Amino acid sequence: MTANPVRNGLRAGAIFAVIVVFLTLIGFTVTGSGLIAKTLGSAVSGSRLPSPGYLVVFLALLGIWGGSTAARPDPRGDRLSTSAVAGLISGLVIGVISTVLALVFSVLLANKVDPRAYLSMVSPDSMRLFLFNLHEAASPAVPAALHLVLQLLAGVLGGVIAYAVRRLSIRQAAGSRLRSISDNIKSNELVEWFQRTPYAIYILYAVIAIVLFFLPRQWGSYWNYIIGTVGIYVILGLGLNIIVGLAGQLVLGYVAFFAIGAYTVALLTAPQPHGLYVNFWVTLVIAIVLSALTGLLLGLPIMRLRGDYLAIVTLGFGEIIRILLRSDLLTSFTAGPKGVRAIAGPTLFGRPLTSDINFLYLIILAVLASIFITNRLQNSRTGRSWMAIREDEIAARASGINTTQSKLLALAIGAAFAGLGGVLFASRNQFTGPEDHTLMVSINVLALVIVGGMGSIPGIILGAFALKGLPEMLRELENYRLMVFGGLLVIMMILRPEGLWPGGHPKLEKAPERELKVPETAQQVQPEVEGVKNASKP
Amino acid sequence: MSANRLTIPFQRTANLSLITRWIIGAVVLAVMLWRLYSVVFVEAIYGPDTWVRFAISGLILGGMYALIAIGYALVYGILFMINFAHGEVMMLGMFGGYFVFEGLNAVPAPGNPELTFLNAYPGLAVLLAFLTGMGVSSLAGYFLEKIAYRPLRNAPRLVPLISAIGASIFLQNAAQLLFGPQRRNYTNPDFLTRGQGWNIPIGEGTVIVTYTGVFSFVLSVLLMIALYMLVQKTKLGRAMRAVAQDKKTAALMGIDVDAVISRTFIISGILAGAAGVMWGIHQGIVYYFIGFLPGIKAFTAAVLGGIGNIPGAMVGGLFLGLIESIGPAALGIDFQLKDVIAFSILILVLIFRPSGILGEALSEEKI
Repeated sequence: MTANPVRNGLRAGAIFAVIVVFLTLIGFTVTGSGLIAKTLGSAVSGSRLPSPGYLVVFLALLGIWGGSTAARPDPRGDRLSTSAVAGLISGLVIGVISTVLALVFSVLLANKVDPRAYLSMVSPDSMRLFLFNLHEAASPAVPAALHLVLQLLAGVLGGVIAYAVRRLSIRQAAGSRLRSISDNIKSNELVEWFQRTPYAIYILYAVIAIVLFFLPRQWGSYWNYIIGTVGIYVILGLGLNIIVGLAGQLVLGYVAFFAIGAYTVALLTAPQPHGLYVNFWVTLVIAIVLSALTGLLLGLPIMRLRGDYLAIVTLGFGEIIRILLRSDLLTSFTAGPKGVRAIAGPTLFGRPLTSDINFLYLIILAVLASIFITNRLQNSRTGRSWMAIREDEIAARASGINTTQSKLLALAIGAAFAGLGGVLFASRNQFTGPEDHTLMVSINVLALVIVGGMGSIPGIILGAFALKGLPEMLRELENYRLMVFGGLLVIMMILRPEGLWPGGHPKLEKAPERELKVPETAQQVQPEVEGVKNASKP
Repeated sequence: MSANRLTIPFQRTANLSLITRWIIGAVVLAVMLWRLYSVVFVEAIYGPDTWVRFAISGLILGGMYALIAIGYALVYGILFMINFAHGEVMMLGMFGGYFVFEGLNAVPAPGNPELTFLNAYPGLAVLLAFLTGMGVSSLAGYFLEKIAYRPLRNAPRLVPLISAIGASIFLQNAAQLLFGPQRRNYTNPDFLTRGQGWNIPIGEGTVIVTYTGVFSFVLSVLLMIALYMLVQKTKLGRAMRAVAQDKKTAALMGIDVDAVISRTFIISGILAGAAGVMWGIHQGIVYYFIGFLPGIKAFTAAVLGGIGNIPGAMVGGLFLGLIESIGPAALGIDFQLKDVIAFSILILVLIFRPSGILGEALSEEKI
């Protein structure tokens, strides 16, 4: 990469100008300034716009970011002037584009055009905010010029900051500071004792058990609901992990098994459409068995398909199940598109367990059981044969693994987990309908397995929190939540392609290295051999 | 050789799988033939005109599927990844064409104030709409590859898939925020009014061959021919085929692999954009989520024909379109279930031809 400050500035400026325009057009400038206002401690009422000062801060932050991106280090000698020039040029580009946008907005406002027919988030109010509420007081040139000046200043500031960070080696300083803190923690007596003691793992379990026991009573029902969803997705993720992470078979129709679990409990316990009122625990078993059987039956004809063919066939299967569930053909059997209501919850000795706290305990129990089972499976002979298939199917077959059987087993067990998840999901919501079982469920589960780290159980728990918890934490961003979520998914994959907590391929293939004892005679022979070689050379 | 293979113990379950396959195949085929027979000859609900109508709408739909499917096939052939955001690329192109039509419809024609620009110069307007749609889509494809896929070139195979899913969610929601959640009607020039066309008498009834349909189909066939020429005859096409076969060797032969991949995404974007504008003109509705279903269907079509195989994608697209429109009628099933039939046929085809109708253009070790 050449260190031409003009080119760097133009490039960073163009990127950030596009970002500024995009954020303005989707109305994020309003939300962003509102967030800044909130962080700075100013109360923003729901409908009122934040004051233009916060927009200045928001835009300046973007400009500074752009400027610091532009100010790359110059290999020929890092000078303040080149960084500042790069920042200035980046600011100039952003500023000119913002100016143009500001002028367009003032023209639109002057002609009382409401662009919301085409650009839904550009309301007159947000346009006024972008002009810093100055359009009535002054000529359109004033806010436009203000944008230009703001971005120029921010760009230079960004360039200078980037230079300063490099020169003063703030990063290294922060790094060594962190390292010393972590060293302090490590050298702490208590921590050292904890690392040495063999009971550490049990203490950890005890802490987790206590936390899991008491926290559901502390959270409100909203958070219980979210955590319950995360728990169900952990179960689904563990199941799909067996198929995708361990056996290496890409399945995109995982939701089909989830739907079978959910609809089994729904149709067997709900008063509508059949009114069978079967006990919850019985249906739980039936649902799991049924899901596993479906997996087996689906797998029999298609398990010889490879890679993406398998993916698309299972995707098709998932869609078939969903469409059949909502079709008129089966309405009398599945209650059609409106779904099944009043699904029974679990009972314990005749007492219903349907309150959100009790249900969360049930989910936690199910998650723990699933973790236990998958952990045991992963380290078993079956698990190792799955991993062998994942690494190289032909080699696995050559070493005597019955690949078809192993893959079928993986699919059936994975499907059984999905059935369990479906039962819990339907029973907790006391409702299930075809729209609960769209392709997005499969995609979400697959994404959480990969975001967390394929083949790793802690990774899947992290992934479930990231995929189902993160969108809830992003509630602050209102409408922008899903868009930000999609962007974060891309960024997460780019930054950590192996997942948040990668599984780490088990070192099954390598035997522990042994010290080779060289016999003494051999050592004595060695020089003689050398001598013979040397002698024969000329 | 066969004697050797019989001694390997896995052969037993493989046989089980084979038997299941044949049983399923025989049962499904018998049921389908019986349904077909009873619908066509016994019940005779539909006259020949209806069948022709189904076939025509299937071909039109199939042409558009084929264009999108080629995009999947091109990318898959080179990167072995499912470009999940391809449907969204198409949606952006559709919006590009929509805004050109809307804009030109708001401007009065120079010298003829009664007509809008759109209807005064319809040819120019359509050309502009297609160029804009293709331009927007190719830009989207280019940046998609640059931002979301290029950093993951050497990552495990499923990682770019998740990145693509993230990009797809991002683009969908960005489009929703930009253009709003409402469904919009595509404004067509008058000569392409939807639902109008030539009336052709067939049997007792007449079949309407819509202008939009003929236009879409002819255009998609032309584009497919152009793409085929590009891949087979030009230098870029040769480079693309070389990169698809072996990136490392291609790089040693002096091919700029990154540039070829970028151009592949641009080309697949162009095709998706054209398909998007066609989809808008023919189906008439555009909104942020519209790319999703055609994207999935086109991917299905690409797999049906054999992933990474361009003629396969074309055949698969047309085949899927025909099945979707003829299938429910031929089997006497509710039209709600057309996707069930499409996916069932897909599963059946793959059970008996595990690498698609035309087979895949990849060697096994690449997967």
